[in-house]
Parts: sequence; C-alpha cells; structure tokens
Amino acid sequence: MSTTVSPMLVRLAAERATGALLRDHGTLYLVDGQVVHAESPASPGIDVLLTSAGRLPAEDWQEAVDRAGTRGRVGRFLVDSGRLADGELELCHLSALFDAAFFALAPGSGPTRFRYGAAHWLGRIRPVSAAVVERESQRRRRLLDELWPYPDTDTAPVVRRTTPSGQPVTPRQRAVLDLADGERTPGDIARALGRPAFHTLIDVRRLAAAGTVATPRVAPTAPSPVPAWVAQVADDPDTALLRRLRDALEASL
Amino acid sequence: MPGIDECLLAAMVVPGALGASLVDWTSGLALGTVGDSPNGDHEATAAETAELARMAAEQRAFSPNGLPVEDVIITTPSGYHLLRFVETAFDSSVFLHLWLDREEGNLALARIRLSSLAEQLVLA
Repeated sequence: MSTTVSPMLVRLAAERATGALLRDHGTLYLVDGQVVHAESPASPGIDVLLTSAGRLPAEDWQEAVDRAGTRGRVGRFLVDSGRLADGELELCHLSALFDAAFFALAPGSGPTRFRYGAAHWLGRIRPVSAAVVERESQRRRRLLDELWPYPDTDTAPVVRRTTPSGQPVTPRQRAVLDLADGERTPGDIARALGRPAFHTLIDVRRLAAAGTVATPRVAPTAPSPVPAWVAQVADDPDTALLRRLRDALEASL
Repeated sequence: MPGIDECLLAAMVVPGALGASLVDWTSGLALGTVGDSPNGDHEATAAETAELARMAAEQRAFSPNGLPVEDVIITTPSGYHLLRFVETAFDSSVFLHLWLDREEGNLALARIRLSSLAEQLVLA
C-alpha cells in the first residue's frame, strides 16, 4: 500500500473544495473536490496537444481563449463552434490532465498551498476523482522504474548511442529519436511532437533500456539542502508559484 | 458528436456486451469505463489490454506497409475481447475495448459497430 503523495489533496477532496492546489512542479484545479484540470511547466498543455500536430489552427485556439476565456468556457466554445468533437476535447483534456498531474504530484516537490475559489479558464470538461488522479500518478512512476530504473533519463538531453544497438525501433520511437539532437530533453521532444510528456518519458526509458539512447552517467548535482531560515521563508504563499514561473521562463529560454 | 461516456454506453448496446472501456495504450490508463470488467478491476484490465494493444500497434509484422492496425480480437471459451484503435487528427494512442459474452455476442456485428463508434468519437 503506497502512502499518499499529497495529504492536502486528500483533505481538499474530502471537504469538496474548489480552487487551485499549487505545488512546485504544477497545479491541480479542483471543483467540489474533483480534479477538473492540471497544468505543469514540464508537460505540454492541451493547446499544444491540439495545435502541434495540426488538429486545430493556432488562431482558432486563440480565438476560443479570447472569446470564452473570461467566462471559463474555452473547452465548451471549441465544441459548440464546431471546431472539435466532444470526444476529441475529452481525450485531449484527460491526456493533458493526467500528464500534468504526474509532474505536479511528484514526491517531495516543495511547499503546497491552496487558493480557494480559483478556477481554470478551460472550464469543466470531464472531472476526475482526486483519488484516481493520485493513484494513476503513482502507477506511472512505478511503470517508468520497471522499464528502466534511471530517473535522470527523464530530464537529461536525449543522446543517441553512436554504436547501433540492433534493437528494433517503433515508428513512435523513431519520431522521438529523429528529434534527439543531444540538446533536447524528453520534455522538449514531447512539446515538439505535441505528445504528452509522460509518453515521451516511456519511449526514452525503453530506448535507454534497449541501448539505443545513452543513459546519463552522472546524476545532475542535487541542490544543496536549504538553510532553515530559507525554508521558513518558503512559507511565503507565493513561493511555489514563483518557482513554477521561474522554471517556465528557464524552459522557454 | 458523442463524448466518451455516450460512446461507451452505445457500445454496451451491442448484443452480448458485458463491459466497455476507452484505454490509452502508451500509459495503460483507462480514460472511461462502463459495465463489468473481466477481472473485476477496470484499471488493472486497462493496463493489461494496453500491453496487448501496444504490441499489436508497434510490431512491424502487423503493419508491413506502415498502415495502422485496426482491431485486435481475442476469443476464449466464455467470451470475446474486441480492441478497436481510434484514429485521431492529433497525436494519441487510444483504443476501445469491448468484452462480449460468447453465447450472446456476435463478433462480426460487434466489429462493425465498434469501428463506427471509434469514428464517431472523434467526428466533429
């Protein structure tokens, strides 16, 4: 029996809270204790999933945000205006939700806080119980480790091995490999392909296990533990938000 | 333009249907489920069928010309399992899984119905 990653999420679900749960690596949006959306700088948003592969022109997406964003009904607008099928919207939405939640619920990812009443502009599409989201995030973490137990593979630039491994590469893995230029991380490749980040982590770990891409040798130096006075400052309500902003900015540089 | 639940409920109208689900084969996540599950646990079933779907979708033997795999069919003495891949205009890896009673179910009919539901799910 695995322990819960976020006791606060369990409590908020029990009290049927509405608002935004802010963690170091992402945010979960709740309505009546159910998860209605999730976002993380580590995973492509639903906009990227829909526009990257050409399903939706970027201007259609922008128009939907402009016209329905303030009412918090962007998802509904896309369907009602005939741009997307209900099924397509739900598929992309769930895909983005579970993908971002996986990163947001990473164990030990710093301070957690909750903004009561905060709502996401995408609107309510297909709410998922908090317990299911948490269970799925933990299952995904186990799945990655079963494939190839080297977590550094997830964040390091993907480097192709020079000596061919002789292992077959599937068409979806081929798309990942074609973008592995020694600089892009799995997250960068996911964004370029308009594919969930977790799906790319799976492919990269499989490729690393097969010896087709290199496994990072040296773990990136872990940040040194912060002194107590810094940790206390982290009670500042907006620290988690600022850190995510910083991460997002760094990622876009 | 049905959503996931409407699509799965429509699948349950197919004669002999015992349970239906929509599953992502890369992650093994059940995106939606209705009815019963062969091992009493929709999430565990999704993870198991996803593994089967992945093998079918990714092995060159089944798509020598790069054409996508359409269905995977499993028969057992008591039932049929029909997996239908959903083709989307964005990057995805999902399939519909319909579990049928062997006595009541008609595999040919179920295959036609599930293929049409897979199309309607993403038809704007």
